[in-house]
Amino acid sequence: MTRPARRARPATRLTSGALPWLLPALLMLGMFYLYPIAEALRLAFTDARLFDQSTSFSLASIAGVAGSATLGTILRNTLVYTVASVLGQLALGLFIALLVVRAERARLRGTLVLRTIVLAAWVIPAIANGIIWQLLLSEAPFGAINSALRLIGVSPVAWLSDPANAMTSAVIATIWQGTAYSMILLYAALKSIDPVLYEAAAIDDATAMERFWFITLPHMRPALLVNAILIKIMTLNMFDTILSLTGGGPGRATEVLSLFAYNTVFQSFELGRGAALAMLLLLISLLLTAALILLLPRGRR
Amino acid sequence: MCRFVCGNDGSINVRPPAVCPTIVMGQGRNPGLCHTPFVAQHELRINCRLHEIGTGDLAGAAETHGTCGALAQVELKQISKSFGATDVLHEISLSVPDREFTVLVGPSGCGKSTLLRIVAGLESASAGEILFDGRAVNELSPGQRNVAMVFQNYALYPHLSVASNIGFGLRRSKLSRTQKRAAILDVARLLEIEPLLSRRPSALSGGQRQRVAMGRAIIRDPDVFLFDEPLSNLDARLRMQMRAEIRALHRKLPTTTLYVTHDQIEAMTMADRVVVMNAGRIEQIGTPSEIYNSPRTKFVAGFIGMPSMNMIDARLEDGALAVGASRLALSSNWHAALAGHKDRNLVLGLRPEHLRLRTDSTGLPAVVDLVEPTGSETLIYLHHDALHLCARAAPETDLRTGAQVYLDLHLDRAVLFDAQSGLALPRPEPTFATSGELA
Repeated sequence: MTRPARRARPATRLTSGALPWLLPALLMLGMFYLYPIAEALRLAFTDARLFDQSTSFSLASIAGVAGSATLGTILRNTLVYTVASVLGQLALGLFIALLVVRAERARLRGTLVLRTIVLAAWVIPAIANGIIWQLLLSEAPFGAINSALRLIGVSPVAWLSDPANAMTSAVIATIWQGTAYSMILLYAALKSIDPVLYEAAAIDDATAMERFWFITLPHMRPALLVNAILIKIMTLNMFDTILSLTGGGPGRATEVLSLFAYNTVFQSFELGRGAALAMLLLLISLLLTAALILLLPRGRR
Repeated sequence: MCRFVCGNDGSINVRPPAVCPTIVMGQGRNPGLCHTPFVAQHELRINCRLHEIGTGDLAGAAETHGTCGALAQVELKQISKSFGATDVLHEISLSVPDREFTVLVGPSGCGKSTLLRIVAGLESASAGEILFDGRAVNELSPGQRNVAMVFQNYALYPHLSVASNIGFGLRRSKLSRTQKRAAILDVARLLEIEPLLSRRPSALSGGQRQRVAMGRAIIRDPDVFLFDEPLSNLDARLRMQMRAEIRALHRKLPTTTLYVTHDQIEAMTMADRVVVMNAGRIEQIGTPSEIYNSPRTKFVAGFIGMPSMNMIDARLEDGALAVGASRLALSSNWHAALAGHKDRNLVLGLRPEHLRLRTDSTGLPAVVDLVEPTGSETLIYLHHDALHLCARAAPETDLRTGAQVYLDLHLDRAVLFDAQSGLALPRPEPTFATSGELA
């Protein structure tokens, strides 16, 4: 007898449709993600300047970006910087994760401390990270790395002022900071491998290399790919580390797409062009993500 | 009849190849698999370490098995193991003869799996020696020991196909690609998983995974087979089938086997010899019938057998057993055996099948608590004062809860234990013909 009455209660009626449950998330995402993107897209089709109220719709910004002589250099920098940083973070992250898991299996002490130290790099703001590495790589007498090199009799290296070295320095700084993230992700994936598999491999007289090749690596494939996607997005969007480390220089040697967009907006005040560059960045990011997702094993996509 | 020809490298060639289809070959010294497909094309080579045999005729495959290679005998000498302050194994000594199927059985936590892992080399012993053919292998890695192991969750390599899983142990062998494929096919045929070879383990059922795991072990032609509760993830029907198949496999490829289980049915049905373990110690080693009929300790008696043996507190008084207020007369052949145990607290162990229900009012009176018909038999739980008993009866037994019955105890088949030590007292020579009933 109480059942019909209960069915009339609004709390029960809510479960009938999905929309009420999706609404809060839709509102949040719409306001803070979709609207800015739409706004940036709109700006890309204007000749807006940062401190100029009067704007009109035109293709001038997009044409200016497409015809820009520097865009080629910027894209090449972006490619080198992103590929080197992503590969470096994946490799170093995997190495440290393997080291930690191995140490835990051997019941060594200090694995927690090691993990914490690696993570410490990650909580440093990117701007601060750039400044730290600028101090370390500084070519002034107090530059830590050059001082150390001098002690072992190696002549100082022009880390930041030589265009040939500046990109390497920027990649090193990025890898150093991003490795922690990659390590934590890969560490979790490593921990999910059934340890009995390694026992079976031990009985099968598998070498460390074979264990890595036949058990660890195939198991890690989805994690490595997802990790690559996430790191790639973060690296493509990264401009603050480079900004504080080299400012994009010397010349345009380390100026990547995100930094170029930032400079276009906040140095040249060309909001429309900056928005067009941001759209280009979004497009590249989406295409790369789609390509990486295709590599994921079926059923995990 | 085939001829063995010793190679300089310790290998053996069999001639003529075609007449020995059941000759087994492989990389180890044990009979491995009969690789019939390439017998016709290639000369059989058995890397048997048969140095002591030399050249000669061998009469039939059975003898070939018998003489092929030295014994693959496993001997454990006073193995102890502790994890931190916890002692898991206490000076275990055990000898597993060549080609014997030995089952380690015991409740969970008794150390049986740890013992197996120590033999495999996955765990190191805190003290003691592990000998394979008299050679200490303590310091050898699992791979160097030439053992094969089937794990409880099978531990198949999830990213390799069934064929690659089975063939994994061959990856460093000198066989050609076609020979390897033939060997994998042979094993697959033996285990009837040929159609599955290209699948991934995730696309297999539990029973199929089980077979692949065994295939992976078989192909390596190990000196010793180790099974760690291999059937516990299967359902009851499949478990029964795999039990028989593993036994049949062992008959085909007789290899020294150590099999760990907590399931006493597996122990009883599969083992040549059963090792009952409890709390890190071996309670008894014996054939299944020895373990069942002559348990050495109260623990073994209670652990083996479903339902458990009835344990009845008793005292020996004037040649009779005092059970509560009742006195049970012992036949004269017990008297001599129990001479030294007068006025001691004893436990009378009687299997449910050694309690017979009577309707005439002779014997121990009891009241029926519960009747459990299982189809092939009916189990009857009853009590006499505070004493709770179980009796096995014919399937058609028609009794109700609360019925008054009388029990005939087959004391000739009983086992008496010292209440303090839990050890079985020596039994008189079996004289089944003169049971009390017939006298």
